[in-house]
Amino acid sequence: MNPAMSFLDSIFVNLKLWTLNLIGHFLPGWAVILASIVISGVVILCLGPVIMMYLTLLERKVVGRMQNRYGPNRVGPWGLLQPIADGIKMFTKEDIVPTNADKVIHLLAPIVIVVPALMVFLVVPFGRDMTAADLSIGVLYFIAVSSVTTLPIFMGSWASRNKYSMIGGMRTAAQMISYEVPMTLAVVPVIMMSQSLSTASIVNAQEGLRWFVFTPWGLAGFVIFFICTVAECNRPPFDLPEAESELVAGFHTEYSGMKFALFYMAEYMNAFTLSAIAVTLFLGGWQGPFLPSWVWFFTKTFALIFAMIWFRATFPRFRVDQLMGIAWKLLLPLTLVNMLVAGLWYFIPGITGWVGAAVILAVSFLGLTALNKPVIPEKRVYLLEN
Amino acid sequence: MTRPQIAKEKNPVFGTGILQGMWVTMKNFIDSYFKKADQGGIFTIQYPEELCRISENSRNFPFLVYDAAPDSPRCTACGICERECPTKCIHVEMAKDTAGKPLRKPAVFEIDYGLCMNCGMCEDVCPFDSIFMDRVYEIAGRDRTKDMLIGKDALLKPNAYFQKIRPKDAADIDARRKAAEAKKAAAARPATPPDAGGTAS
Amino acid sequence: MDILNFGIKVGIYALMAGTLVLAVGVVTLRNLFHSALCLAATLIGTAALYLVFHAEFLAAVQILLYVGAVVTVIIFAIMLTEHIAERSVAQRNRQSLPALLGILVLIAVTGRILLKTPWAVNPATVGARVTVADLGAALMGTYVFPFELVSVILIAALIGAVIVAKKEKSS
Repeated sequence: MNPAMSFLDSIFVNLKLWTLNLIGHFLPGWAVILASIVISGVVILCLGPVIMMYLTLLERKVVGRMQNRYGPNRVGPWGLLQPIADGIKMFTKEDIVPTNADKVIHLLAPIVIVVPALMVFLVVPFGRDMTAADLSIGVLYFIAVSSVTTLPIFMGSWASRNKYSMIGGMRTAAQMISYEVPMTLAVVPVIMMSQSLSTASIVNAQEGLRWFVFTPWGLAGFVIFFICTVAECNRPPFDLPEAESELVAGFHTEYSGMKFALFYMAEYMNAFTLSAIAVTLFLGGWQGPFLPSWVWFFTKTFALIFAMIWFRATFPRFRVDQLMGIAWKLLLPLTLVNMLVAGLWYFIPGITGWVGAAVILAVSFLGLTALNKPVIPEKRVYLLEN
Repeated sequence: MTRPQIAKEKNPVFGTGILQGMWVTMKNFIDSYFKKADQGGIFTIQYPEELCRISENSRNFPFLVYDAAPDSPRCTACGICERECPTKCIHVEMAKDTAGKPLRKPAVFEIDYGLCMNCGMCEDVCPFDSIFMDRVYEIAGRDRTKDMLIGKDALLKPNAYFQKIRPKDAADIDARRKAAEAKKAAAARPATPPDAGGTAS
Repeated sequence: MDILNFGIKVGIYALMAGTLVLAVGVVTLRNLFHSALCLAATLIGTAALYLVFHAEFLAAVQILLYVGAVVTVIIFAIMLTEHIAERSVAQRNRQSLPALLGILVLIAVTGRILLKTPWAVNPATVGARVTVADLGAALMGTYVFPFELVSVILIAALIGAVIVAKKEKSS
């Protein structure tokens, strides 16, 4: 790696170190430690909302293009200031609380929902040595924190005292609990192979181009994990909790102004962090040739987010029973098979392991889909008796 | 009894239909950058900068035509349009000279665009080919009573404008008017002094 | 360093106090949904305490299982019984007084036992950090039998759930 590259590669790390050194000249040691935490925290706290703002723009533009429209392009060049205009609009909107609502919980729900979304940012390795907190339980932490997201959705839906919100909340619960299971199980082979729960060392285990997605179990795991992440952040085609055409807006029907914006912020930040985790686990994180590590990371993450938007522009919404069926009858058995396949692949070296793993996965996929084939009821003919 | 056949022969493997759908949207996405509107690209017309191409027969609010100068419009203030207008949005007053003798032109001609429903009856009934439907649509105003009430000065537009916006209709009408004038001139000829038409005989 | 340590200490005590207050809320609040939320908050507070004591794995599992799963199921049940959530439920009945006596006795006995037990401290384990790798090795090595036994029980529960949920064929 040439010096210019390595300079660019570690530019953010060096910036932070330089700032800390500067502070170290004037302040005692404990303040420097505090400053280190504060800097990382502030960067993450700013990164989350900014990413959210521009994801809304990206989504509207890409979906627009896919539907043969331009999308927002009026505010600023290419509509780049649109998110700021939206933000101002949200702040100045009236905040409406339903009369019968549980006021405290109604207020708390949008605040609480942002917390887990922001907390996941802690373990995301944005680049070489760019993990805010390299926890030894990184992946587990991510799964645990993102499982909390159900609670604020419940709070919002229950406190609104609205049928649509309630139905949305119930659907969320069912959906999130169901999809957490295959999502967690899809991560297991990765942990088995990298022999660590820390996100940084999982990325390190994919050194060079040995990304996990290039193995049979990795590909299957990635596809399953990605489907589950789309379901976890309630994005189409899994957007039953906020199905516009059925439930007005689901659990955030009764929210307006900035509270509504907070729900949206959480949703988009979840979309980003879940894509980032998918990149970390399967697509080699920041690993990649030629470009600085963080460029690679953001490229891959935004590619996944683009795929999510692409899904939104393409697919109609699932029916509730189809949603549950896909999680429990297709994805869950596939993840179990995948764990087994990962073990086989590890212990049978060479081409045999590869082919064997691929064949087992393909056969089990085809078998499961054949078993899950919907029963088409026989056509009934009624003869009129005359 | 036969089972209803769902088109599944096309998609032998679960998931191919999904990929086909995704290809459709992806193609749209790519086409939106590289193709023209009529080839599958974006066909949005960005209004204030670009305007819709208006077809020749499109029409909305009425205006008045004058030939030579705005002082002598075709309109004779006969008031037929005023009477025929279904929404009663036209108001005409005939001009009078100082002696109180009516002149055959309007003193006041007002159309309330806020009431007008663009039916075009005034154009149909006008015997003097004076009132026609315009195609100006950027007429939004802040006050319903002031900005939507269009007076005579704003309504009067030259015949050249009419020829520009509706060339076919204008040509027909001009030809008819010319023919009528020629006929009138021919009818008036015997009354003229002989030396005026002497060259012909 | 002293100020930082002091701050951390204050933070930990505040965390403990908050957790306790929320735990009291779980049993005293009259609205079932509120107490369920308090329960969730209490469990999260406990997880934070585990983090303070460097038991990261336990903390993550606590949040994942208790907050992510158990409390969700509890709230799901509460939301299905809307009437209970609407009204405030009576907190005491005729058996409250005997129950209080029983609890007092229980507290006295447990407290006495806790105080009387000599808590032997193995000096080798003081300050030792149990990593996830250690836990995994212990589960798959020393404690493999109970681990597998538990998994068999869970499988049995799963199959049982499937059978219970299965539609009975109409004859």
